[in-house]
Amino acid sequence: MTQRSNPLALIAEITHRCPLHCVYCSNPLELISRPEELATADWLRVFREASALGVLHLHLTGGEPLSRPDLAAMIEGARKSRLYTNLITSGIGLSLERLTQLVESGLDHIQLSFQDSGEDQANWIAGARAHAHKLELAGWIRDLRPPIAFTTNLVVHRQNIGHLEEMIAALEALHPDRMEIAHAQYYGWALQNRSALLPTRAQLDRAVAVVAAAEERLRGKVRIDMVIPDYHARFPKACMGGWGRQLLLIDPAGRALPCHAAGVIPGMRFDNVREHTLDWIWQNSDAFQKFRGEDWMPEPCRSCDRRQEDFGGCRCQAFLLTGDASATDPVCELAPLHHIVEDAVREDATPGSTPEAREAPFHVLQEQMAGFWSYRTDPK
Amino acid sequence: MAREIVAELVDLSIPKFAAGCRWGGTAEAPVVLFPEGAIRVEGTGRIILELCDGHFSLAEIVQKLEAQFMLAPKGKVRADVQTFLEQLHAKRIIDY
Repeated sequence: MTQRSNPLALIAEITHRCPLHCVYCSNPLELISRPEELATADWLRVFREASALGVLHLHLTGGEPLSRPDLAAMIEGARKSRLYTNLITSGIGLSLERLTQLVESGLDHIQLSFQDSGEDQANWIAGARAHAHKLELAGWIRDLRPPIAFTTNLVVHRQNIGHLEEMIAALEALHPDRMEIAHAQYYGWALQNRSALLPTRAQLDRAVAVVAAAEERLRGKVRIDMVIPDYHARFPKACMGGWGRQLLLIDPAGRALPCHAAGVIPGMRFDNVREHTLDWIWQNSDAFQKFRGEDWMPEPCRSCDRRQEDFGGCRCQAFLLTGDASATDPVCELAPLHHIVEDAVREDATPGSTPEAREAPFHVLQEQMAGFWSYRTDPK
Repeated sequence: MAREIVAELVDLSIPKFAAGCRWGGTAEAPVVLFPEGAIRVEGTGRIILELCDGHFSLAEIVQKLEAQFMLAPKGKVRADVQTFLEQLHAKRIIDY
């Protein structure tokens, strides 16, 4: 029997509704609609159960969590359950008054997304006029007394990687405590748009050097955390810190998933917090057992020295790229099916394989690049 | 709007938790919570961090620790405390 640790973080996708339509959104292609969403009281119970289970961090995300009018009540409930509460947001719909209310409810950390440094290009990627408000909001966040932790999150890809220095400088001017520089991960909408988003190897190498220089320059001022696109890596990422090991995600309808993308794997049965306690789900739910530990591993993972480090990589990516969720993550250079990733890189990530956006007004970009990528839709 | 961040840790610096960093966990197993992470602190680390409440300067923290560790070689306590706090500063957990 596999030894079970307790989960450390709960990712609460409280809604899939979102005013942004980012082309790399990690939400599933089939979004959950408003009438299916869990009620406030259900969430507050989930937070209490999470805390009792040993969870320390709560990440309130979506969709756009601000779409839920009861967000302040959720933050208050989470703090009463002694969870460290992080709001992952586009900032759209957040007035100074509501920000103050959320902070007074006990919010510890706010993570504000940015799409680019230039307004037109940022709006083009988000499919919405959002950038100007984000800048104003960043000022309000920084002026809070007492301060809360402030992270800016920037998703990096083919269409903005060329001016990463400018983007870092623009974010630095907002005085965050922390910057997340996250290369798009190819699930959901990003996989759909991969050929427009996957950077070339040379672009990635340059970006890694740019981030290393920024880390050095900003040491002690801004903490930088970077996520690289695993298609260019030699070994897979330790996805979610291992399946059913540290994290659990509850989707807007209350289904408990081991990660954001697990819904794509056919034949999985996800238990719902409307019917089971979180403790029961963590211990017993088939979905959490499925790839927990090492029993499921094929060779070369089963006898690999790295199996305690990367846990065989990502199950969802294995399914999405090979059709078999139990296969070694094809990102791994040791994977029998590694050629799938090599082919994808050759097709989607070579110089000239896709147009790269130039500077132009938002509406011009939208018109000239119509059909270039699919924007994430919005559920009812 | 611009914040002054004094990056050098000197005797008069007052180390304290950075924005959004706080104690959590339980009395038996306290942790320091910060964005995207937590550290379990025990022993001397816990004593130092409990003194990072905004009331004590580095010199005062060192003095209190030296009183507890009387046998430590001269200068060692200060060097250890300094290294510990500088590491947490780089992670944006402690400001001074």
